[in-house]
This record gives sequence, C-alpha cells and structure tokens, in this order.
Amino acid sequence: MQPAIPAKLLRIHISANDRWQGRPLYEAIVARCRELKIAGATVFRGLEGYGETATLHKHHLARPEDPILIVVVDHAEAIGRLMAEIEPMIDTGLLAVSPVEMIRVQKRAEGNAPAAR
Amino acid sequence: MLKRGPAKKVTIYINEDAQHHAQSLHDAIMTFLLNRGVAGATSTRAYAGFGSAHMLHTPKIEVLSQHLPLRIEFVETPERVEEVLPALYEMISDGLIEVQDTFVVKAARHSPKPQPKLPHQKKRGPAKLLRVFLGEADRWHGEPLYDAIVKKLRMLEIAGATVYRGILGYGAKGHEHRRTFFHPTRDLPVMISVIDSPDKIRDAAEAIEEMLDDGLIVISDVEMVRLLRAAAPTEDSHAAGNPS
Repeated sequence: MQPAIPAKLLRIHISANDRWQGRPLYEAIVARCRELKIAGATVFRGLEGYGETATLHKHHLARPEDPILIVVVDHAEAIGRLMAEIEPMIDTGLLAVSPVEMIRVQKRAEGNAPAAR
Repeated sequence: MLKRGPAKKVTIYINEDAQHHAQSLHDAIMTFLLNRGVAGATSTRAYAGFGSAHMLHTPKIEVLSQHLPLRIEFVETPERVEEVLPALYEMISDGLIEVQDTFVVKAARHSPKPQPKLPHQKKRGPAKLLRVFLGEADRWHGEPLYDAIVKKLRMLEIAGATVYRGILGYGAKGHEHRRTFFHPTRDLPVMISVIDSPDKIRDAAEAIEEMLDDGLIVISDVEMVRLLRAAAPTEDSHAAGNPS
C-alpha cells in the first residue's frame, strides 16, 4: 500500500444558478482549477439545501436552483493558491477546508502517456 | 452462532448401515451434534465409494449396493470441536474422522419471525471518513467499479458506504467528465464515501487501492454519531472483532 500523504480537501458550496461571466459558476471554477493545474475537482448536485440567503434551494424546471458542491483535493499549497483565485468569483457561498490523508492511485497512467497534470 | 473468522471443519465418513446401540450410527451422530448445540451439520449420501476394506460399493450392482458411504460435515469453533471430538471418536468404530482448518466468511441466519424493534442506540466517537474518487465508466472484472467496491466493503463488514454521482469533474485520467445534451456520456465522476473506525478504514483503503486503476483515496478524521438498533446481527460480530 502506498503511504498516505497529508493534503487538504476543499469544499465549495454554491448554487446552480450562480453565474460568472455568463457561464455557470461551477463550470468556471472547474475551468480555473484546470488552469491552476489542480490535481482534480468534482462537482455534485444536491437535492435540496439552504445557505446565505436563507431561501431554500430546490429544483425548478425552468430555473434550476439546486445546491452545488465542488470537492477539490490537493496539497495545502495548491489549495491555498486556488482559494485566493476563486474567492473573488463567488458572490455568496461557502468555502470549507479540512486536513486529509491522500492516496493517489495511478496504475494505468504509469505505463501509458503521462497524465495531463 | 458461528462468527466470521478461523474455524474447524470436521468431516466424518461412515457406512450407511453402521449401528450404534441398536440405533443407526448416522442418527446417533446427528442427534448428538444437535444436542451439543453444534451450529449446523450436513449429512450427504454418497453415490459410490470404497473404504479400508477396498470393496467398491456402487448402486449399479445390487449385491454391492449395501454399505454405501455417508458423509457428515460440520463447521464449528476450535474449542467446540475439541469438546465434541472425544465422543465422536468413541462412537465411530468403522469409518474416518477428519478435521481441517477453515475460515468462515459468512455465517448468516435468516430468522423467519420479524424481529421486534430494538431500542435505538447511539454510538459516538472519533472515526475516519474515506472518500474515493473514480469514474462511472471504470470497470472491475466486467462490473462497474463502484458496485464492486461497495460489495467488497460489505464483505469487509464496513459500517456503510454511499455512492455519489457528480455532474462535472476531472482528475487522475486528465479528461473531463461531463454530460451535455449533444454528448451523452456514461462517464460522470463518482465519489464513494465510507465512515467507520480507524482500523476498519485502513482495511478498506487497502482493499480499494488494490481495485482502483486511476483515482484518488482521501482519508480524514471525523466525529461520528451513529444511530442504530441495538444488538443487530452485524453488531455482534463487530463486538467480537474489536475486544475494546
């Protein structure tokens, strides 16, 4: 088993209808993560939730307002860099960072072309 | 009831028509095992066989169809086997007794009556949270990897696991996972989250790392409040596994 290395896990809570320069905010954040060469990011859509504005985020057909959670895991230094970049992009939302132990598994990538990060 | 872990398997070979105190030996052994509270025993009738007399007993020839062998098997804890073995040794005058080391993987019992609802129990304490990031299209021996991981975790008796499907993401493979109207993909990002005690999570991480090709495993400390019905069957085995 590979040794676990200390890292940080960042959770970004936003809404699905938040926008950044015309495109959904979560897409913009993931794109920014790629630009910053962050190891990975995953976006989840919640069923229901509430936050800063205390209005319930629920799914409406025409105007999806579901809560969105973005999970990013990387070294502490990279997470710090990312947080500084995305803080100005978020109007209302929440960033939460927790310390984690990380095990990266990349058996297939070793034999093939190097991974894109 | 038998629990997961090392055990002994006893196999007894006897003759169908062997007698024990005016009763068939087979019946005597089975009632003896039942009365001694052995977890379970199975006896099977053989199709053909031969023993120390080197005479082949087979149903094909009528004269040879007597003395067909019977096999009685049971699995028990080493202590219990030690307890019943001397009596079995006395009972069997013509036959074979064999003991093997074995490992009980699952000893489940389906009770026919619905169990009465037990009071809620609250378990509180430090635990570990493990998250696995993978792709929905990842496969493991022909089945979806997330399915295989959840099954494996169940076998390891991990308290619970939840699979989430993301809507967008990228990671170890370098390509982006997303689905649009014009490009329906079945490779969305998937996250599995698992919470259990630190040593259980260590086992889980090891098992998952073996199965994962590309992906990420992340472990963090959490404070767990687990609500459960007291004395559920799985809890018994947990208690047996953790002497604490």
